[in-house]
Amino acid sequence: MMTIVLTALQYLGYILIFPGFLFCFVIGMLLCGIDRKIVARMQKRVGPPVLQPFYDFFKLCGKETIIPAAASKTTFLAAPLVGLAALVVLQLFIPIHGFSAFSGMADIIVILYLLLIPAMAAMLGGAASGSPYAGIGLSREMVTIIACELPLVMVLLAVGKVVGGDAVTFSFSKIANYQLANGSLITHASLIPAAIAMLLIIPGETGNHPFDTAEAETEICEGLLAEYSGAPLAVYKLTHCVKVLTLTSFFAALFLGGIGTGIVVVDALILVAICIVLTIVSISFVHAITARLKIEQVFKFYWTTVTGLALISLVLAWYGL
Amino acid sequence: MFKKLIEESTAKSPWLFHINAGSCNGCDIELVSVLTPRYDAERLGFKLTGTPRHADIVVVTGPVTKQSLPRVLRAISQVPEPRCIVTMGSCPQSGNVFRGSYSVAGPLSKYVPVDVDVAGCAPKPEAVIDGLVLATQILKEKRAKK
Repeated sequence: MMTIVLTALQYLGYILIFPGFLFCFVIGMLLCGIDRKIVARMQKRVGPPVLQPFYDFFKLCGKETIIPAAASKTTFLAAPLVGLAALVVLQLFIPIHGFSAFSGMADIIVILYLLLIPAMAAMLGGAASGSPYAGIGLSREMVTIIACELPLVMVLLAVGKVVGGDAVTFSFSKIANYQLANGSLITHASLIPAAIAMLLIIPGETGNHPFDTAEAETEICEGLLAEYSGAPLAVYKLTHCVKVLTLTSFFAALFLGGIGTGIVVVDALILVAICIVLTIVSISFVHAITARLKIEQVFKFYWTTVTGLALISLVLAWYGL
Repeated sequence: MFKKLIEESTAKSPWLFHINAGSCNGCDIELVSVLTPRYDAERLGFKLTGTPRHADIVVVTGPVTKQSLPRVLRAISQVPEPRCIVTMGSCPQSGNVFRGSYSVAGPLSKYVPVDVDVAGCAPKPEAVIDGLVLATQILKEKRAKK
């Protein structure tokens, strides 16, 4: 009886504090704040304070929540929470130097599905709001997901092939253990194109510049979020921040594993440092030097350049190079 | 404590929605210049949003023509509370050179309570930032009263 209670408490701690909700909340917001600061500095601006996403979040919590007359109320309000919950669960699967809250045989496939849920939830919420702008945003979001998904699966296949040898592995703990024994996978020559492809997938999945066609504020009034205000909007902004953390730590776990000491707190700090660097490289730099793409350009870019890079890796890995 | 946090954040994260009510485009360009590297209003948390639902401060430029009046009122009514209305340039306050025209319905203060007026044709970016910062203080007070 005692052990069951303790285990339940342990999992509750995982979900609510580390590496679950609280960790995601603080570090995700911090990453977004650093991103905005770096973009501003690259444009020779002073930029907002690093804590700006926190201010935005708490301000939105204090605003009036308007539910449009044409909206379906339950879906409209539940969608942001479902998206956030899926991302927090996803974060539990990502190993931090051998430590992972949840692990299983094929957790990479679970992660692939969990990664889709926030986008699906945003699309459902947008559709439920009844706004025509959300309708356009919905179709664009869908295209962006399809564009990102193909190269992402190829990257994961390449990694699985290198780690698994004869049988492609979909187990994250195997990938983590392989890297503990043999060093980071990024040092593996055949996986360097896959790592570059993954870096390019991160801004697409998070919906950052220049792939933010679904939430283009100047042309389609923020698209999916057009009708959201107050606390649900705050949850959406939080979901975006957590997504940045999730994808950068996903990259770190896939390609930069094996860096760490074995002490969970120190490893978490190392992970945060890696995530900050990855955010700056893959999101801030790309944001500061590009203008927003059109949706067909996003699709073309992902299905030619990024998929090509992932394919090179996959072929090289398949022939054991 | 949570209430205090929200109040502080309200003053630090004002998002703008810009309505052109028949403006000559002079003030619109000046408003955008406030966000450029030289003046960088984003350092105070200002951000231009694309939809009134996300906004805290509504910036109205132009003399409020008869055609634009119903749209302006509708857009303002879509902004969630607490909200702040700022008129930019002399046009929404007095009609400026368009005063007395058959097509002008302004001034804006006849229809909605205006919180801050930034005068000028067009106002300097410094004046605009000053007016917007004043608006954030009013926002904070409105939030505290709630």
